[in-house]
Amino acid sequence: MTSGVQQRRGGYIDRPSPSSLADVVEIILDKGLVIDAYVRVSIVGIEILTIDARIVIASVDTYLRFAEATNRLDLYEHGGKDLGEMTQSMSQGGAKGKTSGAIEGAKEKVSELFHGSDDGDDESGNGSSARQRPRSRQTAARRRSRREDDGE
Amino acid sequence: MTTSVDSWCYVFGIVPAGTALPTWSENDPAISRDSPAARLRLIEVGELAALVGTPPHRSIGRAADLLAHDRVLAEVVANGTPVLPMRFGAVMTDEAAVARELLEEHQAEFATALNSVRGRVQYTVKVRYEQDAVLRQVLAEHPEIDRLRDLGSAESAHTFQRQLQLGELVVRALEQLRPADAAAVLGEFGDEFEVRLRETSSPEDVLDAAFLVDADQVTGFERRVEGLGERHAGWLRIRLLGPSPAYDFVGEA
Repeated sequence: MTSGVQQRRGGYIDRPSPSSLADVVEIILDKGLVIDAYVRVSIVGIEILTIDARIVIASVDTYLRFAEATNRLDLYEHGGKDLGEMTQSMSQGGAKGKTSGAIEGAKEKVSELFHGSDDGDDESGNGSSARQRPRSRQTAARRRSRREDDGE
Repeated sequence: MTTSVDSWCYVFGIVPAGTALPTWSENDPAISRDSPAARLRLIEVGELAALVGTPPHRSIGRAADLLAHDRVLAEVVANGTPVLPMRFGAVMTDEAAVARELLEEHQAEFATALNSVRGRVQYTVKVRYEQDAVLRQVLAEHPEIDRLRDLGSAESAHTFQRQLQLGELVVRALEQLRPADAAAVLGEFGDEFEVRLRETSSPEDVLDAAFLVDADQVTGFERRVEGLGERHAGWLRIRLLGPSPAYDFVGEA
């Protein structure tokens, strides 16, 4: 979303432009100037989002996700290497810029959650947020179902 | 919230009085009419101004609202204007409240804070492990975890309990790896930049840090992050966001 940021991908870092919804959520939620309670300011309808953005790390979901990822290593790696070999191959492996499939955890959930409550508002969600639509994850669906956002 | 909804002001941030309003084309999809960025205007008191819009008649918190918040403030920063970004969702009852209770009440603090971000932008650097690489490292370091893996076919169903145990041990092992890598990455920035650490949100996150960078150091900073990515390729994945308003460097008024 930030104009004035040149588009750059590839290379050795990810430099998304425009910012995806997930990035924006991460950057701005819970950040920025807060004014004291005497001022009649309300934080409208976002507390619940904040909670979801901070999905507890030590959750069953997380453990299962990592168990799955760890098991999955076999499919193309495990060959009874001894420890030394393993450590060696490690330093070379993974350099192919694999976008870790299990990676976006909490942010995906937040993002899905927005999409879930965002129908009827499609014209504003084009492009960036569509691209962000994550690999669906059953936990996201579960969480989304908890959310009843505002009506029209 | 007792006054008419129509008078409500969504406050994007505090800027110097006289700041040019951000502009975008009318059919810019990022700014729909039904967003807090509608009727964008300045409410000025002395040398300060609040950049406000009119919030839609619904509770806010949709994707479009968040994107609009970010977009408006990013435009201001892109113009080289200092801004104190408000936290998302600040709505005041009317313009008079913005002028009196926000600007007049906090005039001195806002002026000081604006000066502290003048000519500076925030970059957010997010570092996480390459998943396969770090998992291999974990298994290499912890044979007992390796033994828990489900090496059989799909039919040899491991118990749920065992999967849970495996996952938990992996996550714990990642927690042990993290501090050293996080310190190494931070160390590469030296103490040239003001930094705020953010809470990481996932076990494979190594570091999530916001840097306040002088406009004339921007190129050098970006190059440094790229160098970091190159040196740690295959082990760490680095995401660079910004330049953005100094979200992490404005406190409570």
